[in-house]
Amino acid sequence: MSFLQAILDGLLIGGVYAVISIGLTLVYGVMGIVNFAQAEFLTIGMFVAWFAWAFLGLDPVMAAPLSFAVAFAIGWVVQGQLISRVLTAPSVAQIFLTVGILIVIENGSLLLFGSQFRSVTTSYQTASLSLGPLFVSIPYLIAFAMSLLSGIALWWFMRASWFGRAMRATAQNPSAARLMGIDAALMYKISFALGVGLTAFGGAVILPYVTVFPGVGSQFVVLMFTVVVLGGLGSVAGAVVGGLAVGVIQALSALFFPIQLQNLILFVVFILVLAVRPQGLIGASR
Amino acid sequence: MTTILDVRSVSRRFGGLQALSEVTFSVKPREIVGVIGPNGAGKTTLFSTLVGLIRPDTGSVSLDGKDLAGLKPHKVAGLGMTKTFQNVALFAESSVLDNVLTAGLLRHDVEAAREQALSCLDRVGLREVAGKLAGNLSFPERARVELARALCTAPKILLLDEVMAALNHAEMAEIMQLIRSLRDDGVTLLVVEHHMRAIMNICDRILVLNFGRLLADGTPEQVARDPVVIEAYLGRSVERLRR
Amino acid sequence: MKFRFTPCIAIAALALLPLLLDPRGYWIRVLTITLLFAAMAQAWNIVGGLANQISLGHAAFFGIGAYASTVLLLKFGISPWLGMLAGGALGGLAAFVIAIPTMRLQGHYFALATLAFGEVMRVIANVWTSLTGGPGGLSVPFVPPSFAAYSFKLLRPHAYIALVALVVVTAVFEMIRRGAMGYRLRAIRQNLPAAEVIGIDTTRVKLQAAVISGALTAMLGTLYVQLAVFFDPDTVFGIASISIRIALIAIIGGVGTAVGPILGAFFIIPLEELMNDLLSSRAAGLSQLVFGIILITVILWQPRGFVAAFTSLKATLARKGVP
Repeated sequence: MSFLQAILDGLLIGGVYAVISIGLTLVYGVMGIVNFAQAEFLTIGMFVAWFAWAFLGLDPVMAAPLSFAVAFAIGWVVQGQLISRVLTAPSVAQIFLTVGILIVIENGSLLLFGSQFRSVTTSYQTASLSLGPLFVSIPYLIAFAMSLLSGIALWWFMRASWFGRAMRATAQNPSAARLMGIDAALMYKISFALGVGLTAFGGAVILPYVTVFPGVGSQFVVLMFTVVVLGGLGSVAGAVVGGLAVGVIQALSALFFPIQLQNLILFVVFILVLAVRPQGLIGASR
Repeated sequence: MTTILDVRSVSRRFGGLQALSEVTFSVKPREIVGVIGPNGAGKTTLFSTLVGLIRPDTGSVSLDGKDLAGLKPHKVAGLGMTKTFQNVALFAESSVLDNVLTAGLLRHDVEAAREQALSCLDRVGLREVAGKLAGNLSFPERARVELARALCTAPKILLLDEVMAALNHAEMAEIMQLIRSLRDDGVTLLVVEHHMRAIMNICDRILVLNFGRLLADGTPEQVARDPVVIEAYLGRSVERLRR
Repeated sequence: MKFRFTPCIAIAALALLPLLLDPRGYWIRVLTITLLFAAMAQAWNIVGGLANQISLGHAAFFGIGAYASTVLLLKFGISPWLGMLAGGALGGLAAFVIAIPTMRLQGHYFALATLAFGEVMRVIANVWTSLTGGPGGLSVPFVPPSFAAYSFKLLRPHAYIALVALVVVTAVFEMIRRGAMGYRLRAIRQNLPAAEVIGIDTTRVKLQAAVISGALTAMLGTLYVQLAVFFDPDTVFGIASISIRIALIAIIGGVGTAVGPILGAFFIIPLEELMNDLLSSRAAGLSQLVFGIILITVILWQPRGFVAAFTSLKATLARKGVP
């Protein structure tokens, strides 16, 4: 029974992991770089939502679009001013540029907000529904629902809107896309900003059950990377599957192992996937 | 007479494409064998398979009687077979000398490798540019550096993949002369080329590939007259050569 | 090897420095840490600079060395010098183990894998409490001062040991760079299939570089904890505190050059100490923030680091006729 409960929890949480990680895979798919600073935008999203809750009384879930917007704006500038300059540089430069951004954001948050832990209290934090013999935690459910909504929105954007199709074209063949009149630089800005925005959105959505502090992003780094690598770097559908898989793996390992070892399991899965099938369970190789 | 290279029934598939199909031939020591065929016929794939960059699905390759099954390219180089790359695969950020020297490290230490490298560069006539950055040379020069580099591994069998591309007549004649002199020194050569005149001129034998299959294996005259080959590939050039 | 004037002068100068500083003081400690980090960055430089394998997980080896020698000392009374050698062997083994599955990974993927491996080691150290003391950390036990026991009353011997370590690691780096292995690594870096075809056993060469780098880094871990005395998994296996920092030092100084990691360390570490001192806890993270900005600036403006900046400055001045 606890097995089924764990799977249910895992799927709910996994949905959020998917949303948090989609941005990472989107950026890689369109631009070919791994954004090591991606998790820092989770921190940004969480802080924005927290301050919205503390000063405006906004429920984090309501604040999520605000987190998205703030991260989108920051991402737009970061891509335009910094990342665009290393798109053709060797991987050393690309890796360490985003590592530098990671350092700046993490320590910037530390300086601005201090190291204390902050959390929110909401009316539904401990509430749950009964689904037969299983419990569905309300915060998890809401987080999952929001993730689902944003996932659908992203899917529509990528498939149906001109921007989305232009982004996919740029990802597949930048020169051809340019010849079609698509401004690659604009596409890169949109992809990056969208990617970090989604991660921030996910951050806001998990605020009801995760405490925020400047280092919170780092805790999610390997998790996010496991999600995208499992699903295949560059594949949005893969990120969804990867997210669900990681959620379930985490929930199941919580049944058998203490919390520290749960992370270990994730890391080992991550290394195994990289070693055995770097293109992921689903993904197309770039 | 014994053979130095035996290729038996080598096949290789990539997804839906049968790149090589039951290719079988032998090469005697000091032969110059031409490998021709339309683009996509499998010539480069064949070379990559011979040196171990690609593993054949079926079949075997033997060098001097030794089966090369599963051996990695560096082992094959150690046994005496190496190749040049069609689009030239130099170490662009290293000097010309360093490019060739690195190949010499297979059998010598750094100092001796440097000596070898200089003499290989002499052989291809590029000693003056030894200090230049390989990426700064013209394409024909780079092809020659690549040849020198391959030479520096002291190969018994040298596979040259379109080493005469983009050359004018004088340069081609030089390379052809070099190939002949290499043979005189005891090297066996397989040469992929599109320049028919060059191939017909220097090769003892010609292999014709198309769609991964070996269509013909014979002297230049035999191949030029083979109706299957004519139909597949040579076309009108044969009439011109005959006249 | 050619006898070169400048490095010898530099080593002599560095050797004099500890004598000039108060042997119990603050600055000699900073010097020792600087020398150690320079050596660590140099060991990283072997894979990051020569082999172009960007590792974000070198803390794994550092921590292995730190724990190996300390645990051997605590549990069996083995001298830290021997413990250092044991740590080096373990570090080399660990490098071998991580290199095999990641051999074929390129650039970003490789960095990710090493990042994960470093974290795996950190988690293991946190969990395996009976061996490592868990999150509570370990202390190198006090023993009466003697060279054999790696125990000293003053800090000066630590500084000299660190200097010797830096010289050794730099010598190893240079020997690799100028020798056959250097040529092979450069070939592998620029065109792997071509390197294979001309007879280079690319797997073996990459493994060799990894094992050497891992073993050296592990041994430096011992040197560090003998100085620091107390440490925990986050200190010695930390991504930010070790893995990123040593890569950052090498890159800012000039990755792939022998001087780069040394320049980088002498710039970063004293600056960091100074900032942490002047600004104390109010500005926790300010020094890191500054380094993040410096890293970004270096990447965008002179990715080959300070060394290259100096060289091109010299060239510009030469062109303008400045002697």
